[in-house]
Amino acid sequence: MKIWTFEHTFNHPWETVATAAWRKYPNPHNPAVIGTDVVERKVVNGVLHTQRLVSSIWYFPKWAQAIIGSAKVCYAAEHSEVNLSTRQMILKTINLTFCRHIAVNETLKYVPHPADPNKTLLKQEAVVTVQGVPLTNYMEDILTNKISTNASKGRQAMEWVINKINEEVQDITRSTDEIFTQTKKSLDDLTSSAKKSMDDISQKAKKSFDDIQQFKMNNNFSEC
Amino acid sequence: MNSIGEACNDLKKEYDDCFNSWFSDHFLRGRTNDSLCAPLFKVYQDCVKKAMKQQNIDFEEVKKDLLETPHEKKPQGKS
Repeated sequence: MKIWTFEHTFNHPWETVATAAWRKYPNPHNPAVIGTDVVERKVVNGVLHTQRLVSSIWYFPKWAQAIIGSAKVCYAAEHSEVNLSTRQMILKTINLTFCRHIAVNETLKYVPHPADPNKTLLKQEAVVTVQGVPLTNYMEDILTNKISTNASKGRQAMEWVINKINEEVQDITRSTDEIFTQTKKSLDDLTSSAKKSMDDISQKAKKSFDDIQQFKMNNNFSEC
Repeated sequence: MNSIGEACNDLKKEYDDCFNSWFSDHFLRGRTNDSLCAPLFKVYQDCVKKAMKQQNIDFEEVKKDLLETPHEKKPQGKS
């Protein structure tokens, strides 16, 4: 059994990272992941529980294929919990294919950074267990190295997704700004035309009033 | 992102879009009622479960903690 752990800080608040985690795939850094499917999902006591099936393509060296089989598409089960009150997102993944000899248990934990709430801490752990095959230790080393490489790609992928989401938000903000400008313009137009009408009305009213006055005056004169 | 069942791709996309906006606009704001995407989830689910069955993927197996339990398949022969 080999245990691999790692910590990484994202310069983004927890909410942003959690949103991005759901949209992690597809990304150019992990082309091996070819599919994700939600198998079960429910909210229990305010905690979002999700079971996903993750499909990926693994490439093994020829010699390993003899032992593991030439598995092309591999499946993994991911169980996750998002707890808003504790601001924790935990994802646990276990491989489904080649379960018999190899077990890869991976845990990702996203929590707000204890020193800075605007940052997010990722705690990552993988436990690799190879059983019942020759060169167990060697195989475990190979897999652990592979996980380490993939993990750094995973972090790059998260940054890529966050960037993409931020761009989308900017687009929304931009269009909201446009709507706001347009609305303000229409309001201005409306105000100015209302003002104009009011001016017209008051001018007309004044004129009518003047006319009445004039008329009254004329009448008075005539009465005199 | 694709589904394991090619026929489920469109349903998955529709559901994922719904879920992503529910997650940021509802869940993260403390509104945990998840009925918003439930109808889309149901249709997508039916499709995925069928596809998994066709491809012999048994998800139930995973829910058991396989290793270090009586469910663990012992290696054959001497280890």
